[in-house]
Amino acid sequence: MTILMKNRILIFWILLISSQLFSQERYLTKEGYISFFSHSLVEDIKADNYQVLSIIDKKTGEIAIQLLMKSFMFKKALMQEHFNQSYVESYKYPKATFKGFIINLKELDNQNGALEIKGILSIHGKEKEISIKANVQILKDQINLSGNFMVEVADFDIKIPIVVRNNIAKTIKITFDLQHKSYK
Amino acid sequence: MKTRNFKILLIGLILIIISLFFIINLYNKPFIDIKKSNPKLEITAQEILNDYQADEILANEKYVDNLIQIKGEIADISFENGISIITLKGTSGVSSIICHLLPEDNLNVLKLKKGNQVMVKGICTGYLIDIMMIRCILINDNFNEK
Repeated sequence: MTILMKNRILIFWILLISSQLFSQERYLTKEGYISFFSHSLVEDIKADNYQVLSIIDKKTGEIAIQLLMKSFMFKKALMQEHFNQSYVESYKYPKATFKGFIINLKELDNQNGALEIKGILSIHGKEKEISIKANVQILKDQINLSGNFMVEVADFDIKIPIVVRNNIAKTIKITFDLQHKSYK
Repeated sequence: MKTRNFKILLIGLILIIISLFFIINLYNKPFIDIKKSNPKLEITAQEILNDYQADEILANEKYVDNLIQIKGEIADISFENGISIITLKGTSGVSSIICHLLPEDNLNVLKLKKGNQVMVKGICTGYLIDIMMIRCILINDNFNEK
């Protein structure tokens, strides 16, 4: 409960400060894309989320990402139901978040490059420090981040019942494409 | 003796086929038909925004995962990744309602403009800094608005 409130206050705080102090340095998207993919011998499972909120401070390289677990769309209704009810328990942990820094963002001006992003990923109420590589593209009023990385299901205390253990991979591939626009 | 064995085998086989049928049916269970289903709640944009501003947890219990119909004014229309997005605003406050439409309404969205009053039916997924709705459709009566 308090985590929810804290997150909300944090985001509002970031938005408030940003609009007052560094309006030209903040970049935001409310329709970022994040998907996950699980490959197993039995079946492939993919889910897409087009409602990702992400904010970047260009000056410091700070990045904050939030998404709703319920916004993941699956091919099959049953998969979506199991995912939300049994695995990630969306009613208890409705959001996944990431807070961190894009390292050396300042050195990359008006060009493309691969940069390291470091920070804390929080899913299912569990936090884990991660470090990933992302393609970063800086345009006039835009910062685009894209790439993919792997996460271990076990790191986030997500329990998969034995019956379907063969249907779901132990390592899940996360793909992201976040096109931030300068925030006014 | 032979016919009895055969009967047991036949009954067993039929049971297996029936259960397979149910398992496959369950596995392929369709998503709720947004168009044909009646909304669980009918509200205005301002009402749902007020509820979320007051208490996010309570509002989640009331709205998330439910088919709801929201009436409101269009603050913005955009297309991202092939999805039409309509943003509804309330009469006050900074938050809005972001509705991702099903592709079948892509053409209808072109007839809409900022400031139009519309009714949108879809599934609420929760709140970030805005209320999020997925798999939305437009309710048709609203197209005669200027």
